[in-house]
Amino acid sequence: MELFTNLAYGFGVAFSLQNLAYCFAGVALGTLIGVLPGVGPLVTIAMLFPITFHLPAVPAIIMLAGIFYGAQYGGSTTSILVNLPGETASAVTCIDGYQMARQGRAGPALATAALASFFAGCVGTLLIALAGPTIGEWALKFGAAEYSSLMLMALVASAVMTQGDAVKGLAMVVLGLIIGVIGIDVNSGMARYSFGVPELIDGIGFTVVAVGLFAVAEIVANLESREPREVYTGKVTGLMPTARDLRDAAWPAARGTVVGAGFGVLPGTGPALSSFATYMLEKKLARDPSRFGRGAIEGVAAPEAANNAAAQTAFIPMLTLGIPASATMALMLGALTLQGIAAGPQVMVDKPDLFWGLIASMWIGNFLLVVLNLPLVGLWVKLLTVPYRWLFPSIIVFCCIGNYSVNNNPFDVYLCAAIGVLGYLLVKLECEPAPLLLGYVLGPLLEENLRRALLLSRGDPTVFLTRPISLAFMIATVLIFIIMVVPTVRAPRRPA
Amino acid sequence: MKPDLRNNRDFIAGLLFAVIGALAVALAHDYPMGTTMRMGPGYFPTALGAILFLFGLYVLARGIRSAERVKGTWGARALALTALSILLFGFLLDRAGMVPAIVVTTLVAAAAGREFRLKEVLLLAVVLSVFSAAVFSYGLKLPYPLVGGY
Amino acid sequence: MRPPFICRVLALMLSACAASSALAQAPYPAKPIRFIVGFPPGGTNDIVARVLAPKVSEYLGQQLVVENRGGANTAIASEMFVRTPPDGYTIMLNAPGYATNPSLLKLNFDSIRDFAFITLAAESQNLLVVHPSFPPRSVKELIAFSKKHPGDINYGSSGIGTTVHLSAELFQYMTGTKWVHVAYKGGGPGLVALLSGEVSLYFGNVPTVIRQARAGKLRAIATTGAKRTPAAPDIPTVAEAGVPGYEVSTFYGVSAPAKTPRPIVDRLHAEFVRALNAPDIRERLQGLGADPVGNTPEQYTAFMQNEIAKWAKVIKAAGIKGE
Repeated sequence: MELFTNLAYGFGVAFSLQNLAYCFAGVALGTLIGVLPGVGPLVTIAMLFPITFHLPAVPAIIMLAGIFYGAQYGGSTTSILVNLPGETASAVTCIDGYQMARQGRAGPALATAALASFFAGCVGTLLIALAGPTIGEWALKFGAAEYSSLMLMALVASAVMTQGDAVKGLAMVVLGLIIGVIGIDVNSGMARYSFGVPELIDGIGFTVVAVGLFAVAEIVANLESREPREVYTGKVTGLMPTARDLRDAAWPAARGTVVGAGFGVLPGTGPALSSFATYMLEKKLARDPSRFGRGAIEGVAAPEAANNAAAQTAFIPMLTLGIPASATMALMLGALTLQGIAAGPQVMVDKPDLFWGLIASMWIGNFLLVVLNLPLVGLWVKLLTVPYRWLFPSIIVFCCIGNYSVNNNPFDVYLCAAIGVLGYLLVKLECEPAPLLLGYVLGPLLEENLRRALLLSRGDPTVFLTRPISLAFMIATVLIFIIMVVPTVRAPRRPA
Repeated sequence: MKPDLRNNRDFIAGLLFAVIGALAVALAHDYPMGTTMRMGPGYFPTALGAILFLFGLYVLARGIRSAERVKGTWGARALALTALSILLFGFLLDRAGMVPAIVVTTLVAAAAGREFRLKEVLLLAVVLSVFSAAVFSYGLKLPYPLVGGY
Repeated sequence: MRPPFICRVLALMLSACAASSALAQAPYPAKPIRFIVGFPPGGTNDIVARVLAPKVSEYLGQQLVVENRGGANTAIASEMFVRTPPDGYTIMLNAPGYATNPSLLKLNFDSIRDFAFITLAAESQNLLVVHPSFPPRSVKELIAFSKKHPGDINYGSSGIGTTVHLSAELFQYMTGTKWVHVAYKGGGPGLVALLSGEVSLYFGNVPTVIRQARAGKLRAIATTGAKRTPAAPDIPTVAEAGVPGYEVSTFYGVSAPAKTPRPIVDRLHAEFVRALNAPDIRERLQGLGADPVGNTPEQYTAFMQNEIAKWAKVIKAAGIKGE
């Protein structure tokens, strides 16, 4: 079968000493920078950019790609250990991962994250190989109406994110939506809620919000009580996931992979959305949803699988259509362009060694990553035994550097302090931060696409129902709404 | 018994939401609204602000009725010092360099904790500075001045 | 007990001060130079800077370090830039946002007087492409078609105030046509919209859209520059094809803060021009769709004044409001 010959050819290319070396360098570097908040694949690839001039195209792109998907492995590490999202897509992993760490289960959490990521990475790579161009074309069918319906569906489902008080949870989503409004409105060019401050014109960055809301608020909460509060229980039950853990994590990882793969291909949706979507899905499907938010392993496996699958399929629009789905992809596209390679529909035919070699190296890279990360679990768990009075200033320092590095602007650091204060306030008032983050991610996407859809249809709202994909999402939205409201009407929702 | 509003969890939460919602609506009053089918930039923020305001009122009223207290104490000192340590970092990095910023931030942040042993904290500051210099400046070649401003 | 450590810190700081004053006496350039880019990494602007930096570093004998300070379409970077000491150790890559910002935002600096312009490093153009299902095949046909369907044709852009948007606004302004603007967040989503047919027209930047055009997924109509682009010599310019005087170019220029000593400006100018003439740099820039230029500081200054004035007119006529 043609696919096998292509893959065999690709593996032949990828297994050359040079390509293997660059693959390893890329994924190792990617893991490291994924751990650090703020500093991510974008900055790193930008720094390494000139190096790619002196390399042939294949090892160059293999290395850059390794940095990109490798970062998703590293990002979950700090999310689990200290409630600090190392990568935007790892924010959701904080919710259950950190709780697992506090219960002495950091090891299983980290290992499950690595394994789920590996599974998703493999599947994602396979998808590119099998159906790359087809999936790419499918992504083109998503217009403004489809995005709007999808976002609306996610918004309605967001009530699932809340653990306790439904009303406060929803209020947090709305608050997140409002924070997402800050900045320039795409459709009109008008700056909203920017108070004349130039730094607010582009809105408040995800890193600033996630770090302030999760990491900083958590640190202050841990410091506030006068009696020593045991942040991490001393009793560590084991470094590796139990058989039970793996069984519980298997299906969520599979579902997460599917969701992540789907979202990864859609340009402009961003990495965090897929992890939120699977989390909500898993919580809804679980037999005992109240476990989520308290250290449910599904809450780690599913988002991690999703963000890795998304990281792989994000290459599809770039390779098959020449369209960058994000700034990092744009840099890689630039690197390819400078090598004289026109990424686009012909690249599979014109440069099969690049295309298939890259795909094969992605599989190899994922394998290297799990080999690299699993042994490190022991090391990371040891880190938690460091006295908290040494740990938390370190976290704060890395948060500061990370926030600064996004735009090399101290304003982002100041903003993080402010959001940290707000985050602490909200935690004290028992308002959960996760729904806010979801609202913040969803809001701009929803509004932008809703207004655009209406603009394109010249004010005709039936467009959401006449286009088939959009109609499907709208029906799903109504169903989700019914599923959520009906049980509440019958039995009042008990705060978990 | 007069309800203690200052520690009433939902009352404060509701108040926070209501105030933010009202602010959102007020600040957006200048933005063109447009119609529902042709939304202007002001439509979404105003609608959201109004919704948040209403949520806020509901939570506030519920808070007065249920009088649930805020658990624990308000860690004002920890909060202030942590926030200050972050602010100082931003202020110092451009002006004094990364190393002084890290040292000061570590000192102030550690002061937010329950115990403060100067020797340990200074050692931590040195370790963090060396590590950061190695990883960020030499490893990743990020253009941050180590000592001294730009 | 404690003094040794504090002494060490003090000694370190003192020696840093001594070193920097010694550097001030050494010949230029005696330490790395900051190359400010007003966008986050990933944009063409950033990539052009990263292509030029290593070569110029080689010629200068000192590292040119790219520093991204994104935000407000270069306004934040510019605001910080004009306050840096004019000692030749900080330079900036200017982008078109530079010429449009004065008309859109309230700036705390003067876009001409606060800068010492060094050279226009490269220029690139946009390419007007349309979806294959869209009937017009040339500029003249486009104008006629547009006049028959005013307010019916959707065109995409990568954001309000970008050259993609303003190219279209200038076209409408000069030809009296009226299209509907659909803005997207960045070039990627904009291109997707065009490929899927959600919008019919797009003034995209040459390297990205030319590939799709050659593959038949899009139809190329004309380029926006004053002369045909070497990347696509078979495609006429809008000016040739029916709108004389039409010109939109994306420029990549280098500047220093005002009051930078003239010898330093000249030295930087010489090295940048030398880099722009190096064959490998020329090849890379052309691969990005940027044609190397390398004119004199005076020519660049005049060019900037011209651009700012031109865009002020177009922005006002199109009714685009900023902050």
